[in-house]
Amino acid sequence: MIELKGLTKRFGDFTAVDGLDLRVETGEFFGLLGPNGAGKTTTISMLSTVLLPSSGEILIDGQRLDRKASAQKRKLSVITQEYSMRQDMNMDEVMEYQGRLYFMPKKEIRRRADELLDFAGLIDYRKRTVRHLSGGMKRKLMICRALLIEPEILLLDEPTAGMDALSRRQMWSLLRSLNGRKMTIILTTHYMEEAQALCDRVALMSKGRLQKLDTPEALIDELGAFTVDETVDETLKSRYFHRREDAIAYLEDAGNQASLRATTLEDVFVECAGGRLSRS
Amino acid sequence: MGIITVIWEKWVEFRRDFYKITVAAMISPLMYLVIFGMGIQTTSHGEPYLHFLIPGVVAMATMTGSFSAIAQNMSVQRLYEKALDQVMVSPTPLWQFIVGQLIGGSLRGMYAGGIILLLTLPIRTGLTFNALSVLIMFLNGMVFSTIALVLSFLAKSYTDAPRFTSYIIMPMSFLCNTFFSTEQMPNGFRQIISLLPLSQASAMIRAIANAEPVGFFGFGVLAAYLVVFGAISVWFIYRKKNL
Repeated sequence: MIELKGLTKRFGDFTAVDGLDLRVETGEFFGLLGPNGAGKTTTISMLSTVLLPSSGEILIDGQRLDRKASAQKRKLSVITQEYSMRQDMNMDEVMEYQGRLYFMPKKEIRRRADELLDFAGLIDYRKRTVRHLSGGMKRKLMICRALLIEPEILLLDEPTAGMDALSRRQMWSLLRSLNGRKMTIILTTHYMEEAQALCDRVALMSKGRLQKLDTPEALIDELGAFTVDETVDETLKSRYFHRREDAIAYLEDAGNQASLRATTLEDVFVECAGGRLSRS
Repeated sequence: MGIITVIWEKWVEFRRDFYKITVAAMISPLMYLVIFGMGIQTTSHGEPYLHFLIPGVVAMATMTGSFSAIAQNMSVQRLYEKALDQVMVSPTPLWQFIVGQLIGGSLRGMYAGGIILLLTLPIRTGLTFNALSVLIMFLNGMVFSTIALVLSFLAKSYTDAPRFTSYIIMPMSFLCNTFFSTEQMPNGFRQIISLLPLSQASAMIRAIANAEPVGFFGFGVLAAYLVVFGAISVWFIYRKKNL
């Protein structure tokens, strides 16, 4: 279990994360969503101890996480938004470095690296240096590297950014299967359909603060499960309804400039990011 | 264990860039030896100037080799590649990472100093280099590796590394007992210069080379730098809020 208690991060006068309180259960698939600058990456950076909080604390299984907490850090693996790897190492070296940092036996590193690189379709490029890999290959390598150590907790910061639709779907099935093996996953993403498809619960952040926290279904229900999109003065506006009948009645009045559809997490996100959630 | 991992990482880097590292380590010391030692033929204290110069250039090569191995690499890893994040999140104790960096950097410095010793071997100067010289080279390398680490933790951009070289390494190269004896410098300035680590490393390697006794003061100065900058590096890696 991961607990964030009053987690705050300030950079001078700017508060990136402001008193964040969260609890992620063991084996949960948890989404951290929000617009650019909401504080998601800063939260992940604090969870990975790259940044230290200005105040508040992080507990993993009841133990405080800091840079000295080797036992807690052993459980964690991170896939960062940027390609955080030695650019001059080849794939085998990247994997070996990771395994060594986690005190894995050399034989085990080799076995797991072969397995993961093969699974990711990278095995034929294992001697290629990172700087000569495409963006997608780098992303896959980072995933392989993170999984090499068989972590209990996986932190993913925009893991599918820059991936094509097929690779993204493959990534989703991989993450589902990892979560199925009781791995706790915290995911930040800009793709709302990704969060909706994968996450048990999501936290919506804005300006460093937690705005909403619930299951995707509950958040959608709260906003209204039915959406009518209508074009008014060349602007697309959405209205949300809890009952289908109400949505249909509105649609009939609105004429042919309107359409009915199911509300998605993206609608919740847009309303929340725009600060209009309470109005809906 | 973590120390071995960092040394392994340094070895991977060394193996890959062997030619570049070797050539870079050779060029400027060799130029100094050729220009000042062989081109401008002169004497110092009644001896060929080359005899004075070689121990200083060996100490200088150790300094530049260690400093550049760490300063550039760590700045790029921290600010550009973000590869330091991989270490920060891992269970490897961070003090072991620091010690590994110091040893790895020092070995690179010793390699640079060793190349100069090998290149000057055919000159038959009669200078002595023994295990104690090697120990001083290692200690000097550790000192400049730890200074490089502290500066790379302070760097705001990876282009800062060349600036550190201009501000620290260049002045020390010329002032610290490398090309001329600090004895001839004005009072006050001389004492300050003599407290810099390269002055002590040069003086001790030179004393051994000339079969003169080596005092403990020089070891004390190098050890003091190592302890102070080592402690700052450890403090930074554990406590710096935004690494």
